[in-house]
Amino acid sequence: MITRSYEELLAEVEMLRMKLDEANDTLDAIRNGQVDAFVVNSDNGHSVYTLKSADHAYRVFIEQMAEGAVSLNPEGLIIYSNSQFARMLQRPLSSILGRMFSDFVLTGSGDDFGTLIANGWNDNVKAEVELLSGDDVIPAQLSLNVVHLEDEKTLSVIVTDLTSRKEVERQLKMKNEKLEELNNALINSNHDLQQFASVASHDLQEPVRKIQVFSKFLKDRSFGDLSDAAQQYVEKIIASSNRMKVLITDILTYSRLSAPESALELVDMTELFREILEDFDLRISEKGAEVRLNELCVVEGHKGQLRQVFHNLVSNALKFTASSRTPTLTIEKKDVDAKELGLSLDNDANYCRISVRDNGIGFDERFSSSIFSLFEKLNPKSTYEGSGIGLAIAKKIIDKHHGVIIAKSVLTQGSEFSVILPFKQPRAE
Amino acid sequence: MATRVILVEDDSDDRDLFVTFFSDRKDVMLLPAVTNGLELIEYLQNVKSDSDLPHLIVLDQNMPMMNGKQTLQFLKNNARFSRIPAVIYSTYTDTNLVIECKNLGASMVASKPIDDAGYQKMMDDFLQLV
Repeated sequence: MITRSYEELLAEVEMLRMKLDEANDTLDAIRNGQVDAFVVNSDNGHSVYTLKSADHAYRVFIEQMAEGAVSLNPEGLIIYSNSQFARMLQRPLSSILGRMFSDFVLTGSGDDFGTLIANGWNDNVKAEVELLSGDDVIPAQLSLNVVHLEDEKTLSVIVTDLTSRKEVERQLKMKNEKLEELNNALINSNHDLQQFASVASHDLQEPVRKIQVFSKFLKDRSFGDLSDAAQQYVEKIIASSNRMKVLITDILTYSRLSAPESALELVDMTELFREILEDFDLRISEKGAEVRLNELCVVEGHKGQLRQVFHNLVSNALKFTASSRTPTLTIEKKDVDAKELGLSLDNDANYCRISVRDNGIGFDERFSSSIFSLFEKLNPKSTYEGSGIGLAIAKKIIDKHHGVIIAKSVLTQGSEFSVILPFKQPRAE
Repeated sequence: MATRVILVEDDSDDRDLFVTFFSDRKDVMLLPAVTNGLELIEYLQNVKSDSDLPHLIVLDQNMPMMNGKQTLQFLKNNARFSRIPAVIYSTYTDTNLVIECKNLGASMVASKPIDDAGYQKMMDDFLQLV
């Protein structure tokens, strides 16, 4: 049964008319583009209705962004959100609209969120926060900008998911740490190796010297008492211990090359060669060798080390002589032709090439690179004494001087060693 | 008058070699050798009269307890012993060792010789310092 009175029905009609007018006003406002969205209060909280209006194109644009886009009203209520933001939070869009933005921010993450939003209303602000995404927490960057719409102000928030960037950063950091670890291990093992070489060589010298001393003793004091065979054995012991001594000294020199060095200086190579040849005066006259030294160049380098290189080359040239002819040794400056030498240099003009050429026994060119390896010897030791370290030392020094050393030879005819050195050493930063 | 020489050396072979090569020399009087720096200091402190101190101290570098360099440092900072010439002799002498020892006040740094001729030459050089 209908129990409502006429007056009641009239009041209801009046109220509905007012609601209709209100709705018409709203529609007008929407048509005029004055309204972006509206919030309707209901028992379940706020509901927000957004519009496909004149800014439709921008909305499509914003929908397609890889970033979250949100608009807040002055109370901090979300009045617009693109679906990307919803995906970030792993929630349906409808459960985001009309909620406070702060509901989705992990409390205590980053700067105080209230302050951040307050600042956002005054100025453009960027900040990192952590957002609640389903059961997870994701790192995100917020860019806050105030947007004025006639007399309305909204705060637009661009939300960038930092998860992958953080992950990349984390991995990068991890890899960096690992690299550093490996690097340290390498430094340590290098250091250990150098220590080992140094200690081993030092400590090896003691017993070798004893062998030298006492075998000489035997030879000097009791040689006559020994049988021919025994005398031969003693000679062999002396020869071996002498060789051992040379070997140890050379290893020591080689291992020391890794140690920090003296300052760079300008080295007059002509002058350096004069000094080196002086050291070999005796050997040169013994062998009746003819030595020609032409004007060389001045390069930047560690003088002591460069002396060692050319000392070794001259020593080899005077050692591996052919007995059938007068030994000759020519030291001269040559044109640097990287192409001809099969090298790749930044600019030929920045280098000086010093050639050390002899007419000795030479070597098979097949070995022209292996002769620079440690302990590589091409000649039987009975004929030619040596440790097999000299050229390895030379190469290591030239490498450290950013240069190149090349060996060319015709077996039985002679050898030529070319040392190509930059005039200037690169500066360490 | 023979020069009084004291050897500070932990290696018994090397101590014997000193006796072997130098006991015949008229210009050298070997004092009984000691085996490290501490023993040397003890020995020197027990010498009553300055005129009985050694004229020359020969130090091995590599010794237990107190090595050559440390001994040198002590000697050169001691008013009574600092004027006695002290030399270092070692199996291995590199530039660094020579410079270090010279800075500490060594009169000479020598490599241990390997034969009679080498030993005699070394002692001749040492005696020049006295």
